[in-house]
Amino acid sequence: MGTVKRITSWWLVSGIIALATATSAAQTLDGVAIDPDAELVVAVPDDTTNMDPRLGMGSTRSNYIRQVYESLVDVDAQGKPMPGLALSWKPAGDLAWEFTLRRGVTFHNGEAFNADTVLFNLDRMFRKNLDRWGVKDVTASTSFEKVYPTVTRWEKAGEYTVRIHSSEPLPNLWDVIGREPLVPREYAIKNGVEALNERPVGTGPWKMVGWKRNDAMRFERYEGYWGPPPLFKRLRFQVIPEAGGRLAALRAGQVGLVDAVPPLDAGVLGREPGIKVTSSAQKLYCRIYLNARPKDKFDSNGRDGLFIDPRVRLAFNFAVNKEGIVQKIFHGYAQANASPVATVSYGYAAQEPYAYDAKRARALLAEAGWKDAGADGVLKKDGETLTLQLLFPAKHYGQGFDETTPAVGEMLKAVGVQVVIKPVDYGMLIQTVTKGTLPYNGGFTACRTSNNLDADDYLRDWTAITLINWAPYPAELADLYRATRREVDPQKRLKLMADLQRRVRDWAPVVSLYQEAKIFAASARVLRFAPLMDLHMDFRGVALRK
Amino acid sequence: MSSFLLRRLVHGVFVIWGVVTAVFFLVRLTGDPSAFLVDQSATREEIAHVRHLLGLDRPLYEQYAAFLVAAPRGDFGTSIRDKRPAMALVLEHLWPATVELALAAALLSTVLVVPLGIISATHKDRAADHVSRLASLLLQSMPGFWLGLLLILLFAVELRGFLPAYGWGTWRHLILPAVALAAAPLAQNARLVRAGMLEVLQQDYVRTARAKGVPERSILYRHAFKNAAIPFITVTGLSLGFMLSGAIIIETVFAWPGLGRLIVQAVPGRDFPVIQAGVFVFALIFVTLNLAVDLLYAAVDPRVRLS
Repeated sequence: MGTVKRITSWWLVSGIIALATATSAAQTLDGVAIDPDAELVVAVPDDTTNMDPRLGMGSTRSNYIRQVYESLVDVDAQGKPMPGLALSWKPAGDLAWEFTLRRGVTFHNGEAFNADTVLFNLDRMFRKNLDRWGVKDVTASTSFEKVYPTVTRWEKAGEYTVRIHSSEPLPNLWDVIGREPLVPREYAIKNGVEALNERPVGTGPWKMVGWKRNDAMRFERYEGYWGPPPLFKRLRFQVIPEAGGRLAALRAGQVGLVDAVPPLDAGVLGREPGIKVTSSAQKLYCRIYLNARPKDKFDSNGRDGLFIDPRVRLAFNFAVNKEGIVQKIFHGYAQANASPVATVSYGYAAQEPYAYDAKRARALLAEAGWKDAGADGVLKKDGETLTLQLLFPAKHYGQGFDETTPAVGEMLKAVGVQVVIKPVDYGMLIQTVTKGTLPYNGGFTACRTSNNLDADDYLRDWTAITLINWAPYPAELADLYRATRREVDPQKRLKLMADLQRRVRDWAPVVSLYQEAKIFAASARVLRFAPLMDLHMDFRGVALRK
Repeated sequence: MSSFLLRRLVHGVFVIWGVVTAVFFLVRLTGDPSAFLVDQSATREEIAHVRHLLGLDRPLYEQYAAFLVAAPRGDFGTSIRDKRPAMALVLEHLWPATVELALAAALLSTVLVVPLGIISATHKDRAADHVSRLASLLLQSMPGFWLGLLLILLFAVELRGFLPAYGWGTWRHLILPAVALAAAPLAQNARLVRAGMLEVLQQDYVRTARAKGVPERSILYRHAFKNAAIPFITVTGLSLGFMLSGAIIIETVFAWPGLGRLIVQAVPGRDFPVIQAGVFVFALIFVTLNLAVDLLYAAVDPRVRLS
């Protein structure tokens, strides 16, 4: 990515809105009178567990955290990077990136944002100088110093310029560093890191003014926001765990916007007067992970993972009717994706779909030595049946996921695979993959998402042995991946990443199932709400009808 | 009486110690929470680092010894999920949200159940009895979440916000969840009171009282009900205990920020400190209520001696 200094359409729209807001006594938007003092209540299924971004940024948490804290790199409605707290970023040679910071930005407590803020945050991210600052270490979900050990140092190149150095080229550093929300330095040093969690103070458009756990988080417009301030005064994230409860609250007029509308309800809601259903692709990408690890990489009893032959995994991909899943279970609110990268990530390259073709699947399995050897229809090789012990974390990813797993099980059975579905709680699945005790013929269904914009976050999945890496890259793909990590020329890197995606598609480390869409339902009072392709909601530019 | 109390208190302390000890070891059998705190792309090394920060890499006996020293002070550690003191988190969810809801539901079910049960018994096999029994059967068979959703649809959606569909904070928020929570115990207790009253009303002393011309109202409430109340008191005490332990389903349907939901989130997340603090509070509630029920027995029935 070269220098990024773009005025996006969002800025244009925001500028127009700000102008309209400033000059119009009546406060109108698109000719509709709006209420600048109103409150928008958003029904969400879950509360955040933390507000300190270092503790973790899952999809739920990200939505809360990004209202208050901002990052150097922002994202537009199409999932494209745009200037956030940094006005621009560019490589400074092969081994450094330079961020030029936005001036005149203050945190909600008045603390100024500058290069020192960024350096302090980098220290926290990479666990350096914590003693010097007198701040505690936290149980961070991402250990930057371990994931990006080649980042060596960072320096202030001016009051509003920061340079980050690495020992090897890191073309996605703008994303890795740039998407991490930034916390105030003085505030953290004075009040401790606990305060970042309990009483968060960011630069974002919304100040947190109240948080009753498992009930609601309340925000107020930050009048000192560096961009156009929000067009309504108060925002509340109201936790309503049951989808039925969220929709009832919308129909009763008690909430203005509902998050996580079940696909089954979306069609019905869309036909109701006064309710608008919107959706957007998101990064939640659900797959079957198959044990294709060599025997020295898991608790194997001396056997390689049964699915170590890529032809078997490829066959499974052809055996699953993904379009059927998307249409019948998700009612169109999902998409099949043959690339290992989410369609909304920077660097995504569309791949030839795994067309549903049971015949081809059987042919590939036969080629891999699995032949139909009995009346039971189960394929065998050297006296062993082709069995998949499929761990299935029920009630964790939603109803669609819960319906998909047994459906996929049946599809695999149809091509001669004996599928034993084992519903487990999510914690048990995590224990199994952590300890490496997945059976040699095991697999599991799970979804992964990303807080980053760059495709690297997905392509990294099959490098080091991690919880979800059950099919490590063979040497040639590992080399290709390393090449993508070293290439600093954006066009060449995109080409390399596209090549890697094509080869990963054919090598098929996982059975790609679907990429979900986020569905929202809003009352007619809510104007200009557009779901992002990122994990959070953005209320800048949203208004409430008077 | 005082020796009874002392004995029960000592007994209660051992019960609570036993429960929390069992939970301490049982939750650790379910696995390690470290992996929940890291990204899915975390390596074993990163998970080990988190284990170290949580102190879970220490020997189990060391962890237990530290727990035994800290727990009597109310220090159950810091929630792994919420990064706050576990006991504070539990008490925050218990009071006022869960206590409010439990007391409202208990009050509702207790106040209504006595007249309903008595009317049903005194009008045996007549219309009032049939209606009461049918209603009891329906309320007992109806899953709480379904009743809750029906109430929301009627009072919040169809009646356009007559009562709130969700949330906590005012007496209006309390009505629907309290009704949904009270329904099943109300139905169960109404049948219990009816059965007890039917049995007692056939006793000789009731016939004698009637023969002496004691007013029927006095016979029912002062003589018969007192004797029929023992099983009702036991069940009510237990029901209150369960309600105070968090009505998980009702809290979920009505988005009520109570203890039940906290514990439900803590269990799959292997949030050991919160589970331990929660179970400690549950054990304390049940021990206290059991003691209160025993004391009530003696107050209601003079034949019961606390010795």
